[in-house]
Amino acid sequence: MAAVGQVAGRLNAPRPALVETGPGGTPRVVNRERVMLVREEWRVVDRWWTEEPIDRRYFEVVLESGRNVCVYRDGERRCWFTQRA
Amino acid sequence: MIACLLIPGFELRAALRSRPRIAVVPAALAPEPGREQLLGPVTAAAEAVGIVAGMRLGEALATCPQLVLVDPDPAGAEREWEGVLRRLEDAGFAVDPVEPGVVAFETTGVERLYGGVESALRKALDSVGPAWDPRAGAGQRRFVALAAASVARPGQAVIVEGKEEQAFLEPLPLSLLPLDEGRYAELEGLGVRTLGSLAALPGGAVAERLGQEGKQAWSLARGGERRRVRGRSPAAELAEALSFPEAVANELTLRRAFGALLDRLLARPERAGRPFRKLALAARVVGGGSWRRTVTLRDATAERGRLRSALAPKLTEIPAPVVELRLEAVELAEHTGQQLALVPPEGEETGVRLREGLRQVRASAGGGAVGAVVEVAPWSRIPETRALVVPRDV
Repeated sequence: MAAVGQVAGRLNAPRPALVETGPGGTPRVVNRERVMLVREEWRVVDRWWTEEPIDRRYFEVVLESGRNVCVYRDGERRCWFTQRA
Repeated sequence: MIACLLIPGFELRAALRSRPRIAVVPAALAPEPGREQLLGPVTAAAEAVGIVAGMRLGEALATCPQLVLVDPDPAGAEREWEGVLRRLEDAGFAVDPVEPGVVAFETTGVERLYGGVESALRKALDSVGPAWDPRAGAGQRRFVALAAASVARPGQAVIVEGKEEQAFLEPLPLSLLPLDEGRYAELEGLGVRTLGSLAALPGGAVAERLGQEGKQAWSLARGGERRRVRGRSPAAELAEALSFPEAVANELTLRRAFGALLDRLLARPERAGRPFRKLALAARVVGGGSWRRTVTLRDATAERGRLRSALAPKLTEIPAPVVELRLEAVELAEHTGQQLALVPPEGEETGVRLREGLRQVRASAGGGAVGAVVEVAPWSRIPETRALVVPRDV
């Protein structure tokens, strides 16, 4: 049977980010912009019972330009992403 | 002649196509969720250890603890069955499918093409392919053809000539008749164990004792009615599918996705304005199983609202989170006159304007530019799983 298939997309998918860290692993520079303030920090550990466990350390930061950005370090993949939380 | 082609345990065979190793161990088709806990078809290895189709699940597991339960895959079975039917149609047979694994057809039209009934049946068996272990039977009546196919070995064709019908049917067991389990026991209690002994009873007495069902069985035991087999009308080739990045169990999301599929199906140019007579809603569920429901509409229609109210309630019957949702137009009706409404239903005009607006956006921004945001799990701590974008290209 001729089927036309489509894939539903994710909304707010994480995007890779360039992050330099300071003491304690907090972000110092995000996408080549200096971090002025770390407003909040939290962790999400979920789906540890699946083959795709989630271990993220989120930071909500204020950049030099005044923008608010949310970044997280993926503990499984050991890299940084930006995402609207 | 009327011919019947039989593939016993078709659903199990279809489910084992991707796992051929299980075919050689004791295995059975598991009961569908929410249905009575009775086994479906079983493998030969299961039969050898005393497991039979229709056995209670608990009893079967007690008899054979190593029994492998195969999840039913009705959508997969339907697809495979459609493939079998198409191969038969490609070989020139006008098929009348009875159920997955059983199909009837007339050989009269192809006998000269293939050089006789036997050659035509051989051609039918070859076109289905040896992997399915098909068997064929032919007779002057449909039930005789079915009975002949039931006694044939895999790959064999049994032909019963008109004058041999009664002698052929007489020794066959009652299990060939479409009767309830209790009826078999009742008949056996009366000493009736073969089709011949049932056929020998007076019809009136059978009807009095067993009712309409018994009367039909008695009629079949005598060969059944002489009726021509009418080939099916060509199946529609229209289907739309939507895959989700992760399994969805939320009814609202499924309803939105279904709405998008319905819009796309209605917009397919191959439909050429014809209304739908029969539709199927299928889902691939998490863990590899599938689910499928077919809905035949009393009045063929292409009205979005009516199709939605006929099909959307079925979404609640899906037993597990869905990985892919699929909507198929199984049969289209010919053009029929539509009674126009004096007052259009509320919201219809807004809907038409909205669709026109979306069409303009798509025309200027290209395909894939229009999507509907569907909340899946707004409470989730993982931001990207809170909502999905479902394409709305129509």
